[in-house]
Amino acid sequence: MPVIAGVDIGNATTEVALAKVEEGKIEFLASSLYQTTGIKGTPQNVKGVLMALGLALEKIGMERKDFSEIDLICINEAAPVIGDVAMETITETIVTESTMIGHNPSTPGGVGIGVGKTWHIKDIDKVPPGEKVILVIPGDWDYEKAAEVINAAFDRGIEVEGAICQKDDGVLIVNRLKKVIPIVDEVASIEKVPLGMLCCVEVAPPGRVIEVLSNPYGVATVFNLSPEETKQVVPITRALIGNRSGVIIKTPAGEVKERRIPAGAIYIDGPRGRIVVNVEDGAEAIMKALADSQPVRDIFGQPGTNVGGMMERVRRTMSNLTGLPVSDVHIKDLLAVDVLVPQRIVGGIAGEFSNEHGVAIAVMVEAQKLPMQRLAEAIREETGVEVVVGGVEAEMAVRGALTTPGTKRPIAILDLGAGSTDASFMKENGDIELIHLAGAGNMVNTIIASELAIEDMELVESIKRYPLCKVESPFHIRHEDGKVSFLDTPLSPNLFGRLALMVTDDLFIPLDLDLPLERVREIRRRAKREVFVTNALRALEKVSPAGNVRLLEYVVLVGGSALDFEIPAMITDTLARFGVVAGKANIRGSEGPRNAVATGLVLAYAEKFLNVKGV
Amino acid sequence: MVAINEELVRKVVAEVLAEVLSERKASSTFSAPSATSSQVANMKLVEVGPAKKGTDPREVVIGISPGFGTVFHETIVGVPHSEVLRQVIAGIEEEGLKARVVKVYPLCDVGFIGKIAANLSGSGVGIGILSRGTAVIHHKDLPPLGNLELFPQAPLLDAEVFRSIGRNAAKYAKGEHPTPVPTRNDPMARPRYQGLAALLHNKEARYVDESKPPMEVKVEFLK
Repeated sequence: MPVIAGVDIGNATTEVALAKVEEGKIEFLASSLYQTTGIKGTPQNVKGVLMALGLALEKIGMERKDFSEIDLICINEAAPVIGDVAMETITETIVTESTMIGHNPSTPGGVGIGVGKTWHIKDIDKVPPGEKVILVIPGDWDYEKAAEVINAAFDRGIEVEGAICQKDDGVLIVNRLKKVIPIVDEVASIEKVPLGMLCCVEVAPPGRVIEVLSNPYGVATVFNLSPEETKQVVPITRALIGNRSGVIIKTPAGEVKERRIPAGAIYIDGPRGRIVVNVEDGAEAIMKALADSQPVRDIFGQPGTNVGGMMERVRRTMSNLTGLPVSDVHIKDLLAVDVLVPQRIVGGIAGEFSNEHGVAIAVMVEAQKLPMQRLAEAIREETGVEVVVGGVEAEMAVRGALTTPGTKRPIAILDLGAGSTDASFMKENGDIELIHLAGAGNMVNTIIASELAIEDMELVESIKRYPLCKVESPFHIRHEDGKVSFLDTPLSPNLFGRLALMVTDDLFIPLDLDLPLERVREIRRRAKREVFVTNALRALEKVSPAGNVRLLEYVVLVGGSALDFEIPAMITDTLARFGVVAGKANIRGSEGPRNAVATGLVLAYAEKFLNVKGV
Repeated sequence: MVAINEELVRKVVAEVLAEVLSERKASSTFSAPSATSSQVANMKLVEVGPAKKGTDPREVVIGISPGFGTVFHETIVGVPHSEVLRQVIAGIEEEGLKARVVKVYPLCDVGFIGKIAANLSGSGVGIGILSRGTAVIHHKDLPPLGNLELFPQAPLLDAEVFRSIGRNAAKYAKGEHPTPVPTRNDPMARPRYQGLAALLHNKEARYVDESKPPMEVKVEFLK
């Protein structure tokens, strides 16, 4: 009664299925997983394989080192695919001559709209009575003194229409004035505000946004602009849309413009020759160029750009791995997604940020074969157990997936991994179509990281993986669907008032983000949709009969990203529109979407050499 | 290190003894020197009766220690108490909330003063401040030794930090999630000020009155 271990070495995790073959029957004993050590297909994997095997042995009551209990280890012919992701920012906003202040202080002072010439508060005595002024108040002016001076100016008949102030003093000053004026505060580089210029300050009531300064005709009315000049203020008004407060200063040549940053080109070699597409044209143009070049022979990036560097990096990694010369390693697929990246506005006075456009690009290289024999030898040496390399990964995955209750051939599986999205389709007669596409879990991380401007990739992984909540008091939280949970023990004070990730019912990770919950949720869900739903359709179109997804009947999702709490639902929902039954696999009726390949390996070996069938 | 510590302890003990012996005398080495007496005069604290629990969700209660603004007039690094209160109140006002000041007599531990203030506060958020400057932002649902934000190194707290403490406390009261006030750290603050802090604590502890309830205080800033 031999004991067989199926071992699947993936990009991110190594999975083991341990089974006993007895009297022509296969009995699965245990399964386990451990993170893959090193790049898959290299001897560094041995450590991870030993750990995973040890964990499985432990589950059946053995010692971790009891490798002699195993009679045979089957490892898969790992899919020779490596993916990588890069980001390029392709626009920037530039303010010249300090023509606008468009940041959003949390508490601007007063409410309303004020128009006048900018004056430094220290020169207020020189202002002639009857003049309309906007005061510029630097940080060394205490709020009480500033209020006193402004009240005195009111008494002298000077019409102080509004103020711009450096410290967070807006509300404090307005509370001490005889008349309510709009004050924009927390303007960091206040010394850059030009003096003696016509200026307009607008503050909206809490919960509202400014209406005059975000409307080109509103600005034209305030500054008495000609139709030609009105055209030129459009970028300024656009930059102020959605703010609670804003300032526009009319200077002779000042303007706000959005500039496209040259981010280099991508060269796609296909049957119609080489197509060149500029990264700054955005994801749509890139994906269209890619669609026009099917089947793709190779893709290059312009040297010296982020994308070019990333493409060379994956090529070199694959070349080192397989021993092929770099020139023989080809990039076969690419996925581009538009992202919004918060970037500091160039020339901004208050440290304003604007959401600039960027493109995230994932690529994938494919080799003929990875040197698995070398790895098998290394595992044999460490464990003393016979190791066989058996079975193509895709075929094994289908075999494993078919152990899901309610499935039958013909079946398509979508393997949602970390580095690539793979699809395979098994016809009734057992023939298999297979495709690997660029872009998977790692790309979702890249998009979330750049849109939320978070550098800690561990935290980004958690944002992808766990639902959000808002801690409203030490004893209750509000979930992202608006429901409230009460807690018996108080939460840690560092969670108070914050957004948090719900790892388990009583383990939370605080998020230090100044964004509403809905925005973070939207970014997370959009990243998942853009990568996985797009790729699911792209992949299924390529493997389905006649390229028509409607002709598929059963689609099963496997792989690490199929464990996600919302990705499978998004894909099920999208494919339902094509009349396809799609859902998360449940390998052997118990393992969920994990362990498909490892299970398939055991089944295939038992069937072929031990002459037993099924579970 | 050991030698310094021992020397310091000796010095502190000697000074405390001298202090205790001359307790009846009007002025001590560590009360405000004459140069600051003009600053002493720019704030008046008037007790108006035992503090009641507030019901207004827009208020943040500031709890001050027994000697704050009466026996002592500045923090360990010379920030006038009038300025401390003015900045904390300003921070709260800028966020659109109201401040209420309460003098806590039964003890002089910053955590408990903060907790007592939070319990009295309509919003559930309170601030505790000691005479030497140590401060805490507290919440009624947290244990006394827990806190929302703690500022343990009094020598590093200046007017700007006190403003931020007020601002953050108000933001917590609004249910927002402020970025914690950046904590400064000076490894030399402890050795340099430890002795003085011990003396100040010792002196303040003498004004603790366990039988006296927390008192509502009216603050008047004088020009």
